[in-house]
Amino acid sequence: MRKDLRLELRGGESLVALVALSLLILVVMVFALDPAGGVRDAATAAGALWVALILAGVIGSSRVLLAERDNGCIRALIASPLDRGALYWAKLTAAFIFMAIAEAAAIVLMVLFFNLDFDWRLMRMAPVIALGALGFAALATLLAAITGRVRAGDMLLPLLAIPLFVPALIAGVKASGAALAGAPFAAIAQWLKILVAFDVLFVSAGSLLFEYVIGEE
Amino acid sequence: MNKIANLWLGGLTGVLMTAAIYMTFVYVPTEADQGIVQRIFYFHVPCAWVAFGAFGLVAIAGIFYLWLGQPVWDDLGYAAAEIGMVFCTLVLVTGSIWAKPIWSTWWTWDSRLTTTLILWLLYGGYLMLRAMADDTPQVARFAAVIGIVAAADVPVVIVSVRLWRTIHPAVLVTRQGGHGLEDPRMVATLLVALAAFTALFLWLLMLRFATLRMRARLGAIARGLNLAQAAAGDL
Repeated sequence: MRKDLRLELRGGESLVALVALSLLILVVMVFALDPAGGVRDAATAAGALWVALILAGVIGSSRVLLAERDNGCIRALIASPLDRGALYWAKLTAAFIFMAIAEAAAIVLMVLFFNLDFDWRLMRMAPVIALGALGFAALATLLAAITGRVRAGDMLLPLLAIPLFVPALIAGVKASGAALAGAPFAAIAQWLKILVAFDVLFVSAGSLLFEYVIGEE
Repeated sequence: MNKIANLWLGGLTGVLMTAAIYMTFVYVPTEADQGIVQRIFYFHVPCAWVAFGAFGLVAIAGIFYLWLGQPVWDDLGYAAAEIGMVFCTLVLVTGSIWAKPIWSTWWTWDSRLTTTLILWLLYGGYLMLRAMADDTPQVARFAAVIGIVAAADVPVVIVSVRLWRTIHPAVLVTRQGGHGLEDPRMVATLLVALAAFTALFLWLLMLRFATLRMRARLGAIARGLNLAQAAAGDL
């Protein structure tokens, strides 16, 4: 895991690319939705943010596992005495940190583009975004191990990941919109429960099933 | 494949399906509020039942494949996913045909419609994986994992979409506790249609499963021939 982080942070290429991608998606969303100047629409901003999260995640997350495939290190890692479960947790942590940084950048850009305020309401979004990023990282870590080793896997990853992510997407958009609009915590709580359930489900499914997809053939 | 089982199951499907069609179009009384279009219900619900059952079977076969590693479980899961996809498509199509006159729209983002669409997309992804990848034990494991994860996702999808919104009629269990089918002939028609579609599903599953098993055997024979040829070439 340290290696992944070091590689990403030192090279910095994919992190910069991911942030740039989030920026571009938000710009596209502004043009597509055209939030008239001065109108502070929390729901639209939250929607745009989650579109950026999904697209950046789909494109960025496969890199975390593909780095090993390209230079053949995955074989060495599997052969090493390192537990495969540990390999999963390392990959998941790296993907999560990776996505969380990109999301933090996307939130700042969202506030600027959608003419919102930097205030306490953004803090209320932190758990929503963190849970969303964790859920997507868990999903993508498992799926990228599959699609990374199939022909045309780049096409396949979004086809598999986006339908699976739907419950977290619904909960995330609703919770973010409510948090940005300054709704009471009770309005967010029911969506947070769904996000927690989704994360628990996919982190445990990932840790249980990862050994079946990582095996050599 | 077992010829006798094929004949029995095919014959049973034919008899039940004929009865279901007769009951749907002739026997059952027309529903008072919705009129003639309500009769599509007797095909819509069995299709949904078969689709859900088939997708459940995909997950069960996936668990057994990962556990035991026998290729039969992989073939069973593949066959169930394909048939489930066909019936899931039929659910969406018959639902749309019903919704146009009743809700005056082909599609709404109601909770059950949305859930069915998500299911359709999930197993579409599963079948895309199988279509794109080669036929190896590794890909069989991948497919098993996707089948399990997709089924595990369904309850969370249902809860989240239900919280999101709903207008679908609750026919089978209404809030008063009773069911929404007043006439006993309606219940009888629905039960016969359910039996007919279940038999049809089992028959199709058996045929498709047998085809996949034959393909696996053919592959093994072809590999054996290649080996024999290579050995003969060495001599």
